[in-house]
Amino acid sequence: MEVERIKFERTGGFANMRIAADLDVRDLSDEQAVTLKELLDELDFPELPAKLTSSEPIPDEFTYTITVEAEKWQHTVITGDTPEDEKMQELLGLLNGLARKQMRKQ
Amino acid sequence: MRPCFHPIECVIPEHMLESIATHGTSAQRQAALNNIRVVYQLRAERAMRASFKGLFDSAIPRAINNEKERVIYDAMRRDVLPGTVARREGDAPSSDPAVNEAYDGGGATYDLFMKEFGRNSIDNRAMRLNASVHYRTGYDNAFWDGAQMVYGDGDEDLPTDERLFNRFTIAVDIIGHELTHGVTQFEAKLVYSQQSGALNEHMSDVFGSLVKQYQLQQSASEADWIIGGGLLTENVNGIGVRSMKTPGAAYDDPVLGKDPQPAHMKDYVNTVSDNGGVHINSGIPNHAFYLAALEIGGYAWKKAGRIWYTALRDKLSENSDFQQCADLTHQTAGELFGNGSLEQQAVKNGWAGVGLTVGGDAEPKGCFEAALRFIGAT
Ligand SMILES: [Zn+2]
Repeated sequence: MEVERIKFERTGGFANMRIAADLDVRDLSDEQAVTLKELLDELDFPELPAKLTSSEPIPDEFTYTITVEAEKWQHTVITGDTPEDEKMQELLGLLNGLARKQMRKQ
Repeated sequence: MRPCFHPIECVIPEHMLESIATHGTSAQRQAALNNIRVVYQLRAERAMRASFKGLFDSAIPRAINNEKERVIYDAMRRDVLPGTVARREGDAPSSDPAVNEAYDGGGATYDLFMKEFGRNSIDNRAMRLNASVHYRTGYDNAFWDGAQMVYGDGDEDLPTDERLFNRFTIAVDIIGHELTHGVTQFEAKLVYSQQSGALNEHMSDVFGSLVKQYQLQQSASEADWIIGGGLLTENVNGIGVRSMKTPGAAYDDPVLGKDPQPAHMKDYVNTVSDNGGVHINSGIPNHAFYLAALEIGGYAWKKAGRIWYTALRDKLSENSDFQQCADLTHQTAGELFGNGSLEQQAVKNGWAGVGLTVGGDAEPKGCFEAALRFIGAT
């Protein structure tokens, strides 16, 4: 899947410290970019429902907002911390790591 | 193909689960629950609990002797709950500080609720206190999953000079906070969104802080009223994650930003993130509680805590908002200490200090001001 940018935000949690990043896919290492694109493909990201959160929020659980931008489309998905899909968990793990790295650099 | 995010609906038809829950023997119910627990873990359990209250109740683990019973698990940095048993009730201390903190903090919380408020654990029926430590890696959070407490180790996976968080068992008020989410789940059931969600957070901060004050035997004026003291590393400019005494002043840091909590209704934050700002606007009732407890004086759990606990148990409900919380705590104070008592007056003054008039309506003031603006009077 050809994508250009990924915007990522984590809110909530006991401490409610916001983590956010605006990632240009070209700035990622080749390995990271490949992993990311594979995950988005496997998830069929543009077809995911906009909300994957449960109807009953869990106290102090993180909420994630992921926006993927490509040349011709863009799609935003909101999810909680424990999505059933393992690929989504992997994607959250990867984006969390990248976001933390980007925040420390600023 | 689109992945399925609702396995209960997709794999096991709802009517089948309902049938097991209604007609199954207790062994069948347990088997169904175990089976689903293994396959779908957290979310499935929660969905089932929400749908089938009878099944949930029989699945609650309870202490055999109807007393305090703690079981601390080690999740071994994986995301599978609960993990391996690390310390049971009555066991000697572990060599792992996180295990001991979860054990001691759970005990301190149980003791406050039992000895001061006469409540026997989370469900008031001796629910076993289960907690897992070392959840995932680099997990800077703690939460109540509907059945147990879960604690991460902060950002232990980063180099020391880059870490922002210590382990989440480090502050006893965090443990009290998480357990109180359980109490709220069984009592007022405050919906975790907007003002009712901020009240849910508020109750957790109140009793979390009271557990710490109770442990240290501090009066309202001696207590620091900080939530999460010791949680932030020395790389962060901050003393904790929230302050009930001075909401908005817990931290101000180049990486983490500034504590966003308001201390007054005029600074109420309207936002969609964080379930409508539940961890943000809780600063308002938090500060009201602090003001009331300080005015009453002495140990805050003795009077202010008792008023709040009684209101949480008997008065507040799913969709209560700040105004209702003000009115109901005021009413409760009258019932416990007498109408017109100093205690009741202190509660009224506490709420007034954050811009809420007991017995009043939050709206007219805003409307009045808007009207004045409209006619150009301000
Ligand atoms: Zn909370």
